[in-house]
Amino acid sequence: MNAAFARCLWIARLTFLEAIRQRFFAFLFLLGAVLVLSSGAVRAFDFGHSELKFIADFGFGGLFLFGSILGVVMTAQLFFAEIDNRTALTLLAKPLGRGEFLVGKFLGTWAVLGVFVAVLAALLAVMMGARAAELAELAVERRLPPPECDLLGLAVAALLQWLRLGVVVALVLTVAAAARTFLFAVVVGALAVLAGQLQWLSQELLLKPAEAGLGRAVLWVLTHLLPNLQQFNLGDVLVLAPTQVPAGTLPWVFASGLAYIAAFLACAAFLFRRREI
Amino acid sequence: MTAGPAISVRNLTKDFRIGLKGLKLRAVDDLTLAVPRGQVFGLLGPNGCGKSTTLKIVLGLVTPTSGEISILGLPSATSAARARTGFLPEAPYFHKFLSGRELVRYCAHLSGVPSGKVEAAVAEALELAGMTEAAGRLVGTYSKGMLQRIGLAQAIVHDPELVILDEPTAGVDPVGAAAIGRIIESMRARGKTVVLCSHLLGQVEQVCDRVAIMDKGRLVLEGAVADVLERRDRHTVTIEALTPAALAAAETALAAHGARLGAVTHPRRSLEELFRELVTGSRDA
Repeated sequence: MNAAFARCLWIARLTFLEAIRQRFFAFLFLLGAVLVLSSGAVRAFDFGHSELKFIADFGFGGLFLFGSILGVVMTAQLFFAEIDNRTALTLLAKPLGRGEFLVGKFLGTWAVLGVFVAVLAALLAVMMGARAAELAELAVERRLPPPECDLLGLAVAALLQWLRLGVVVALVLTVAAAARTFLFAVVVGALAVLAGQLQWLSQELLLKPAEAGLGRAVLWVLTHLLPNLQQFNLGDVLVLAPTQVPAGTLPWVFASGLAYIAAFLACAAFLFRRREI
Repeated sequence: MTAGPAISVRNLTKDFRIGLKGLKLRAVDDLTLAVPRGQVFGLLGPNGCGKSTTLKIVLGLVTPTSGEISILGLPSATSAARARTGFLPEAPYFHKFLSGRELVRYCAHLSGVPSGKVEAAVAEALELAGMTEAAGRLVGTYSKGMLQRIGLAQAIVHDPELVILDEPTAGVDPVGAAAIGRIIESMRARGKTVVLCSHLLGQVEQVCDRVAIMDKGRLVLEGAVADVLERRDRHTVTIEALTPAALAAAETALAAHGARLGAVTHPRRSLEELFRELVTGSRDA
């Protein structure tokens, strides 16, 4: 294995171990699980279709909300813990590049969010699968088509959420690499995530088809500096109507997410390069 | 091939910008220094004199305003230079949820020790630092002295040629400080170069071959310990069974040769020597 990548993995491992010991992580993890499990208590009376959509929206909403909070706060916290506690002093005095340190922090934090997404998605799958089976029986009795519930689609949707959280982590790391305080990193990171969530609005409003030339190019760059985080929210379509996902959407969303992660990490490494420890 | 100095610092200056107006604070001022290989080098000075900043610049943790620094002939602040260097920071803080052995193993991996040799390197470093017995305990349960010693173990686990120790005895009792002194001496015996920053001047005098003294960011003295401490215009003669008559006769004889008896005192041992003599078993392990 490449030595630099091996060092990144060691940093990631330590970051993961540190993160899963945090009470904040446990608290949001439990809160998310409770939210997903409580979605089963919801009842609608249209033989399944809307009810399953509600459960999916509820579950993915929990993943989105608590995952975002975790992504922002935990990333900033794990970064500043190393700086403020001066453990970074010991680590960066070793033959460890600053970029490697950041990539390690990213991988460790992303791995923790992977556990978060996997567990909540598994709970959601159990809830939806059980309810879909009940509703299918009711539909047969009423001679209606059974509701669609694609658990493979749910797995893909969970993967997309994980990718979205990866973008959030990389974005917050970029902010943290330049920030002087934990609070600043959390506030600016949260605002950046919020802006990313509303990015589709700016893209649709600013980039009117009639505009062309330099103005359009500048607007295009400005509206793509932050990722459109809404593009990852394909959960209910992937689970309840997988055939309606336009061709090419998934590869584009995956490629875009990975590109934003790479770009933000490169930016973070540049900002962190000359930071005094 | 002639080996150059372990550390070469030329015309190093570091300014920090402070406050909103960006006022300039000069932490290191035109410092030129060479640390010879295979010696224990003491870097001394009062708090805020620029010692730690200098060490951080040497390790690439802080960017200099101007100047050139090299470690073992390699440009400072490169991974290749740091791979041959071990560092114990002042008041070290490590991840509390790791055991001592896990911490040192982790540092061995980060320092590039080949996987097949990690366990042997960890065992050797723990042994040298006197931490083998406590290696299974969590770092969070360690005393200050043990933290310093596990810090030493993580600094030397990859068998570096150069070891930089920033206040390794801060907060450590005299017995622990003496143990750290012995570790430093054993590193010198193995041909390592050690840079030691410490306020324990007695220990620095004992273990260092050379010292440099900094004040207000500038180098005020540098040289071999024996040379800088020796007062060549004075002499010490230790006399046993001295009587008043013998003393008077000696004064007369000295005066006949143009010399003068400056002072007659009893030799003293240091408080540290007395303490170590009396307290022998209280190791903090």
